Amino acid sequence: MSATVTRGRAGLRTGMTWPVLIGWGVLVAVAVVLLLAPQIFSAYDLSQILTQALWLGIAAVSVTFLYRYGGMVSLAQVAIYGIAGFAMGNVVHTINSEGGLNLGWTPWAGVAFGIAVAVIVALLFGAIASRSYGIYFLMITLALSLLVFYFFGQVTKLSGFGGIRSISRPGFIGDPITDPKPLYYTALGASVLVYVLLRYVVRTPFGIALQGIRDDPPRMRSLGYNVPLHRTLAFALGAFVASIAGILSVWFNTQISPGSINLAQTIAVLIIAVIGGLSRLEGAWLGALAYALIDYYARQHTPTLGLWLNPGRFATIIGLVFLLIVLLSPDGLIGIGHRLRDLAGRRLGTPPTSDTAAAREEQALPETAGVSTASGPSSSGGQEP
Amino acid sequence: MTNVAEEVTRLERGIRRWPLRRLAAAAGLALCGLWIAACGGKSSSSASGASSASSSTTSSSAAATPSNAIRIGILSDCAGDFGAWYNADIGGAQAYFIAHNGAKPNGPVPSNGITGGTIAGHPIKIVGYGCADDTAAKALSEVRRLVEADKAQIVIGPLSGDEGIAVANYSKTQPGLTFINGTSGAQDTTLKVRSPNFYRFNGDGAQWSAGVGDVAYRKLGWRHAVVIMDDYAFGWTSAAGFIADFCADGGTVTRIYPPLGTTDYSSYISQIPQKFDGLFSAVGGTGTLDFLKQYTQSRGAFKKNTLAGNIFLGDPAVLAAVHAADVGALVGQPTNEDTSSANAAAYISALKQAYPAPTTSLPKPGTLAGLASSVFTVNYYMAAWALDKALTAVHGDLSNGQAALHAALAKTTLPDAPYGPVTLDQNRQAIVDNYIADVTTTGGTPGIHTIYTVPGVTQAFGGTFTPTTPSPGRGQPVCQKRALPWQGKEQSISVH
Repeated sequence: MSATVTRGRAGLRTGMTWPVLIGWGVLVAVAVVLLLAPQIFSAYDLSQILTQALWLGIAAVSVTFLYRYGGMVSLAQVAIYGIAGFAMGNVVHTINSEGGLNLGWTPWAGVAFGIAVAVIVALLFGAIASRSYGIYFLMITLALSLLVFYFFGQVTKLSGFGGIRSISRPGFIGDPITDPKPLYYTALGASVLVYVLLRYVVRTPFGIALQGIRDDPPRMRSLGYNVPLHRTLAFALGAFVASIAGILSVWFNTQISPGSINLAQTIAVLIIAVIGGLSRLEGAWLGALAYALIDYYARQHTPTLGLWLNPGRFATIIGLVFLLIVLLSPDGLIGIGHRLRDLAGRRLGTPPTSDTAAAREEQALPETAGVSTASGPSSSGGQEP
Repeated sequence: MTNVAEEVTRLERGIRRWPLRRLAAAAGLALCGLWIAACGGKSSSSASGASSASSSTTSSSAAATPSNAIRIGILSDCAGDFGAWYNADIGGAQAYFIAHNGAKPNGPVPSNGITGGTIAGHPIKIVGYGCADDTAAKALSEVRRLVEADKAQIVIGPLSGDEGIAVANYSKTQPGLTFINGTSGAQDTTLKVRSPNFYRFNGDGAQWSAGVGDVAYRKLGWRHAVVIMDDYAFGWTSAAGFIADFCADGGTVTRIYPPLGTTDYSSYISQIPQKFDGLFSAVGGTGTLDFLKQYTQSRGAFKKNTLAGNIFLGDPAVLAAVHAADVGALVGQPTNEDTSSANAAAYISALKQAYPAPTTSLPKPGTLAGLASSVFTVNYYMAAWALDKALTAVHGDLSNGQAALHAALAKTTLPDAPYGPVTLDQNRQAIVDNYIADVTTTGGTPGIHTIYTVPGVTQAFGGTFTPTTPSPGRGQPVCQKRALPWQGKEQSISVH
């Protein structure tokens, strides 16, 4: 979506080109399909694939945001959405009092409480983690992730292995199992709001300073910026976004248990962000859609692929897809779009515009910094002659 | 500056070289895609026998699904602590259809699927296998796939405790469908949730422990027992049965609860007091062996008559892998594999007939018949049996929200069940016979020697558990004296 926006601006400068028109066309088509999805797709696809992709996308976009604009690879986002979900699940009414404290709050009070708890925890945790970079930041967030998982698994008053079931939802959402439409539109609306919010934030002075910190923390510090504070606040903003995904996931599943926020899920959300493409925020939703589709078709078709492949090997398939995508397009699925656009531009005789160069520059960041390497963003900066 | 320029040129050359590599990778991707598509096509046709229109062209025996087919989904675990028994579950249910409904296996591995077979003239169609991982979250998403995407009308499953509670809750949102439990054994599933269309033809964890505590107290002279239990719904329920029994006689317990899926039990073993009369293990799945091994490594072998355990200690797969640590243990379970009854023989021959060949997709000993007395195999078998019986009684009528089938299932009894008759109570929960056995060695192979039976164990445990009593948990039930129907009345069995 933002690809077309940027491209659109370039179009105004250089005159409307074919790729721009195609971009707008795709955007409109996607918007129409998303709005009419309940009419187009079956209830199952709407719920288990599209709605799931939307809330997983929100969780993944918090990873993308922190990496793309803050240079932080966070493995804590799933733990944070778990905190939001468990906090809400404990205070709202649960039918038959199935697990949790069951304090009987209204669903909306529960939402506010869940998000608030998640953001407060993230502020405290961010204050500790914000002074570390690269692989060390990743490890410290992984620690939080496991800590939260074991905490809720062990503290049976708040959850226990079985988690909290039959968590009440706001009236208008109804029962997402029998009628998935309201939850789908809620998730769609939340996704759009989150996207707009993040796009806005990165253009504010705070967002610009954050990107400066991503590129060269010592230089920003010497300019008088409070680097840890900026990183902490960015982490808290990421937590706010993730906690929205947490609330939606609880409504989606009607329950939450430590199994929903285990290490596998933590890695899944990171994989979604990478598959989609860390260079652009909208990649998160693209990655989530791909993940939900692979999840569904892998489970549907692997049971009979003989002895060497059983449905438990879903991770193998997603791993292969992950490898292929990273190999073919290091900037994820969203990067394939860039390539196609460049290709189309060349075919149609449009010279590579400054915008294309800018897009390349944007893509260059994740490639040089590298998610898996220890060279954090701090080392990618400060190398000018 | 020149260095920088050189660097840039080199980089650019590198970039130009890339398309070649990408081409190769793309070709590789295309090949993989083709291959997966081919396999996928083959599998979907062989998996489901009568398959969807898209793959039915390649299907050999059955064409498109007839409209009167009975669509069944089988929900099990393919990952997590109980993933090893995936094919034992599926095999149990399908062996029944193969032996009694004329279905044919599609291969030596149960998850290859079955073809053909009818119930009351309606073709059987297995629409899919649910692949959960013992968490409620995955079980829920898998049962939704079977029901909402694959359009299963009847679900057989799930496997594990908390999954059962989640699926029973889910079944309330699908009142027009039928859910028959696989082998999950949490108490809440039927006692608390009480979904009108969820049926369980097997006991819960507590029922499977009935009598063990009483025998340990009276015959083995235990007064203080250590109870180590998986920290989740089934572990708690299983331990609750032992604790209710043992404390009813006046015994006292120390409870230890490692999380399900623990691999390093050392910190829990260090919590076990040095002095105790006996230890009851409600550690299941892959944890059973880990715990036993690590215990004997750090504390030495169990002294005679100081170890007891739940179904997992007596499961054939565990016995096949176990070392001497298990021998002499007292085991509570709903199966007596050393029985010579005709019902058990008929059941085992049905398993042999359906899946004769050993396969690595099953845990040791590698054949379905070898796993006959495993609760995983037999409970899925009995679920299929109950379904067949009830559906036959209503002539395959699934109209009107399956009302006729629901009424028939509630009345279904399995008097000829392999290991003792099964009837349902008012919560659609089975009343079963339970057995207390010794683990023995005969010629080096560990086996089961059943010594007592407790007939007709109800979920209520003689009034100990009601819908309003606290669910089994880390501290529930409280350890106190109470009266139980079978106290001191376990019937001795003389076999062999």
